[in-house]
Amino acid sequence: MTSILKLEIQKKTFKKKCFSILHDFELEVEAGERLSIIGESGVGKTSLLNIMGLLDPHYHGSYKLFDSSVKDLSQNKLAEWRNRKIGFVLQESALIHSLTIEDNIKLPLLYAHLEKDPAAQDHFKRIITKIGIEPILKKKPLECSGGQRSRAVFARAVMMNPQIILSDEPTASLDSKNKENIINLLFDMNKEFNTTLITVTHDLDVANRHERIITLERNE
Amino acid sequence: MRILRFFITRIFLKRWILVLGMILLLFLANYLSFTTARSVISTFQGYQEIETLNQEGTFIANLDPDSKTENETINIDKTRKLYEYLDNHYTYALQVDGFVTSLENEHEMEVTFSYINEEAYKINQFSLSQGNHLTFNYQFNQETIPVLVGAGLATTYPVGSTIEITDPVTQQLVNLNVRGVLKENTHRSNFYAPNIKNYFNFSIFLPVNEEFIQRAGLDLHVNGLTDIALLDSTEDEAMNLKEHIQKNLGLELNFFNQQENFDYFEEYYVYSLKIICTIMFILLIIIVCLATWNNFTSIRLMKKDFTINLVVGLSYSKLRAIFYSYFGLLFSINLTLLIAITAFNRYGFWLRKESLYATYGIFGLLSMDWIALLIVLFIDLIIGVTIVELTLTKIKRIPISVGVLN
Repeated sequence: MTSILKLEIQKKTFKKKCFSILHDFELEVEAGERLSIIGESGVGKTSLLNIMGLLDPHYHGSYKLFDSSVKDLSQNKLAEWRNRKIGFVLQESALIHSLTIEDNIKLPLLYAHLEKDPAAQDHFKRIITKIGIEPILKKKPLECSGGQRSRAVFARAVMMNPQIILSDEPTASLDSKNKENIINLLFDMNKEFNTTLITVTHDLDVANRHERIITLERNE
Repeated sequence: MRILRFFITRIFLKRWILVLGMILLLFLANYLSFTTARSVISTFQGYQEIETLNQEGTFIANLDPDSKTENETINIDKTRKLYEYLDNHYTYALQVDGFVTSLENEHEMEVTFSYINEEAYKINQFSLSQGNHLTFNYQFNQETIPVLVGAGLATTYPVGSTIEITDPVTQQLVNLNVRGVLKENTHRSNFYAPNIKNYFNFSIFLPVNEEFIQRAGLDLHVNGLTDIALLDSTEDEAMNLKEHIQKNLGLELNFFNQQENFDYFEEYYVYSLKIICTIMFILLIIIVCLATWNNFTSIRLMKKDFTINLVVGLSYSKLRAIFYSYFGLLFSINLTLLIAITAFNRYGFWLRKESLYATYGIFGLLSMDWIALLIVLFIDLIIGVTIVELTLTKIKRIPISVGVLN
């Protein structure tokens, strides 16, 4: 197996709040691996996910992703990777309310200049059929249920067939049926496309279904 | 372009009230800076004209504001004698504008006569687009009077043509021969209000000599006196004339020398311009603060929209470009609006047939308007950079994980 992600953080400091997290943290993830990150609130799970997702460049340490040093990449390159190589599965509320579900799902295509690409359109149809959200495509997020919104967030994350999916509490505020749906969709992606799955969760049931669990602890 | 269109139509315009508020604030900033800049330019243009007249040894008449002259006591015999006295003892520049007459022309504008003597003509050095300059040695009522016409009359009355008309100040039928055409937008600034200008596009410049003065009516005599300029004179000579006029006509005129005129300009215009510019600057800062606050409010409401876009592939550099393009668009709308309003105001003079203010230019705008618009563009650049950079700093401070769940 090949390493897809290698992260070495000395610390992540929050200047305003005068504290730091993720002291001497090291992580190596292999392609196709299913990894879950757990830990109590405030230990830095989401911060870690933001760093891995190329959303936060402010940390002390080194980060190698797809064999490239992240710190050497331009802002536009990082944005391109967020668009094409990384998918973010966030909580069900992470949708733009003024857009329809369809426009929300197709948002990554805008940045990849693939809005009118027939292959991308076919891929979009395959995804929505698979996750069963055709009836709500023209609806606005606030007109949909929490479960439907979660599936829309998932559809957006896999729209570009990413190599890594980063999930931040993907099942929070979902009932058990919808929770199961989302987990199954994520694991299907992992099986079907060998997509690397990194999930931050509070839910031990969800965490236990991953191959590896990392527990973040508070620094003394 | 598609990303910009997406942001404008799907993100910004969804909070249209904030966009409208921003347009209004920026328009206010543009309008304020435009009117101030134009006022300053116009005043300094007038000042440059004044400088050519206001030389050492020049004394410019100004009716004393405390003068309690009763016009009934002034009659034509007295003013004729006064001009005789002037011709015999002084060299003076005289130009009197605004005598309206009806004269057929393609734009159906009222035509105004501007009476000018040789000294005033030499000082002002009006440029011509066609023909030759005025001559002053004609004999009134025995030969045609050589005149210059404004650009607006050039088609109806080309060089060489003759105009038969009743002269408004002599009330006699005269034959005028068009010798030349004044350049478009030839103008004269009011000496004591240099930002006010008369444009001569529909004027006839009639040369005034001693004989003409003697045949002219009271209006020309009195109006001419109130802003006559004595040339190559001394304080004593100016004082003598002041006393002579007061004694014979009862008019109290002040004759200001070069330094007094410059002091007057300094005291009334430079000072008030400084006040206007300071107020404009303060208002501009308040407006920029309000516009920034408006934008921050938008950011707060669109926090989620921005962060989700950042998550799926937008970069901060692209976002910066989007904001600059967006503000560029808002400023373009405002500048277009400003040009349209200014053009409409200028065109209004044509519609209302106010011939002394009707001007030529692209969209009816004069050079001072274009310069003022350039200044506005420069101010817009500063405002735009300030707001966009502050906004970007604000957006960068939003933690993505907080933003997406907002």
